Amino acid sequence: MQYPDTEFKEKIISSIIISAATVSSLLLLAMLIFILRESWPIWSQIGVSGFLSGSSWKPLNTPPEIGILSMIVSTMWVAGGALLIAAPLGFGCAVFLAEFSPRPLAAILRPVINMLTGIPSVVYGFLGAAVLVKFFEVKFDLASGESLFAASLILAIMVIPFIVANSEAALRSVASEYRHAGIALGVSRQYLTLRILVPLARKGMLGALVLAFGRAMGETMAVLMLAGNTLRMPGSWFDKGEPLSALIALELGSSTPGSFHYQALFAAGLVLVLMVIAVNIGINLLFNRLQKRGDDFI
Amino acid sequence: MKKAIRDKLLLGWFWVSGLLILVILLAIIIYLIWRGGPFINSQFILESPRGFPLGTEGGIFPAIKGTLWLILLALVVSFVPGLLTAIYLSEYGRSGRLAEIINLLVQSMAGIPSIIIGLFVYAFGVVTLGWGISLLAGGLALAIMIFPVIVVSSRDALLAVDENYRLVANSLGVSKSYTLYRVILPRAAAGITAGLLLSLGYAAGATAPIMVTAAAVIASSSGALLEPVMALPYHLYILFNEHLSLNYAYATALVLVSLVLLLNILALLLNSLQERMSKQ
Repeated sequence: MQYPDTEFKEKIISSIIISAATVSSLLLLAMLIFILRESWPIWSQIGVSGFLSGSSWKPLNTPPEIGILSMIVSTMWVAGGALLIAAPLGFGCAVFLAEFSPRPLAAILRPVINMLTGIPSVVYGFLGAAVLVKFFEVKFDLASGESLFAASLILAIMVIPFIVANSEAALRSVASEYRHAGIALGVSRQYLTLRILVPLARKGMLGALVLAFGRAMGETMAVLMLAGNTLRMPGSWFDKGEPLSALIALELGSSTPGSFHYQALFAAGLVLVLMVIAVNIGINLLFNRLQKRGDDFI
Repeated sequence: MKKAIRDKLLLGWFWVSGLLILVILLAIIIYLIWRGGPFINSQFILESPRGFPLGTEGGIFPAIKGTLWLILLALVVSFVPGLLTAIYLSEYGRSGRLAEIINLLVQSMAGIPSIIIGLFVYAFGVVTLGWGISLLAGGLALAIMIFPVIVVSSRDALLAVDENYRLVANSLGVSKSYTLYRVILPRAAAGITAGLLLSLGYAAGATAPIMVTAAAVIASSSGALLEPVMALPYHLYILFNEHLSLNYAYATALVLVSLVLLLNILALLLNSLQERMSKQ
């Protein structure tokens, strides 16, 4: 039994903790609402479809032209391209770590992957611009080697660690019965991994990929330094472009608060955030659908 | 037979991709040391940027100082709310409905691009509250950015503490807050500290949020809250982008990477200490 004053003290402490947790978690919603409020004039005057489908960005003209289609397309090219490069390597490395790597090598690789996530994105962007872009310029005799492709390549290196860590966890979480049954039946290690473990872990590996996609879409510095930053609609992966994150970082400081330009940047920010959130909600829905179809056919 | 060949090829691919990751990290670090190492000396570390244009000579001392101020401020702002949220999730809420929602919000917050946090703090702090481009605004932006990292790592450290401690304390009639303070927190301390170090490293390297809220090309970084500061990642960006000095850019990158990796390695060591402690 507790004494009344202790009980009172306990109540106070727990309510402090509950309110602190609630208030600080609501910060996310506060941020979204604030950004929505700042960008409101854009949505009410130009409209959602006009803003999303317009491909001309001249916010200082009179009347201002603001459409962010070319930035959205650039964002998708850069992030999608990064996954295209990162997925085979990331999955390969995850399978290697989970099943094939000799123990001492795995003991080195895991912290290495950890450290790769630690390297700041501006350093990746700098190395990409100073080494990779220079290489493209010399090798292919280009006036400037920046392109969506260069940005994708560096982004791929940045997201590989996330893909590896999450897919390795998925592979390891496959119930050990499958492993034991496979070994008891005398199938080879390759067969066990490729035909049993990987199909069973497919869901988690797909989730790792989607998380990496969300990360790649929001990445700013590396993309800013490598994508070339032209406001035209990119025609291919090897064109220049300016993804949403780069647009905001480059123009926010020079826009007059309260102007159309300023509001349009907040609208672009809102679009970027909603794209990232949609991707994350998308995988949750996908998982639930897969769950309903039953675990026998994953 | 065909299948056997395919399996061999795939196996080869697994080895290649595993080793490639190792090669990439080694290449980055060796290249940075090779290009930046020769320019790091006491003058580079301890002097302010000089020359014309500014930054082509001298050192990066104000940028180092500014980065330390920024991450310290971020930690001061988000440590208490982060730890309290983690305590709620692991000790009070557990699997309740509210804890579920908070978990989801924290997870979504971790996915928010850092430039969006910069955008928010710019509108809220820099413009609306009139702070201007300042250490305070940058510290706040970084604090919001590392908040979910602190919550998740502290929560996991707390959850890793053996459940028996809670059961025993409870059955002896020890109050919840006393158990938490004297039994659970000390056993999770190493893991919580590791999470803090990781989040400091994350904050030290973040560029996008401070680029729009705090960073200046040149500043004394005295620690005054309402003045702009220099910061290592932004200084690196400026050195390279404005073609000031490629050599100094490599050297700055090396200093920044060393700082971040040092924090990461300390965190790794503490984490393995935590694993041993929570098993005791």
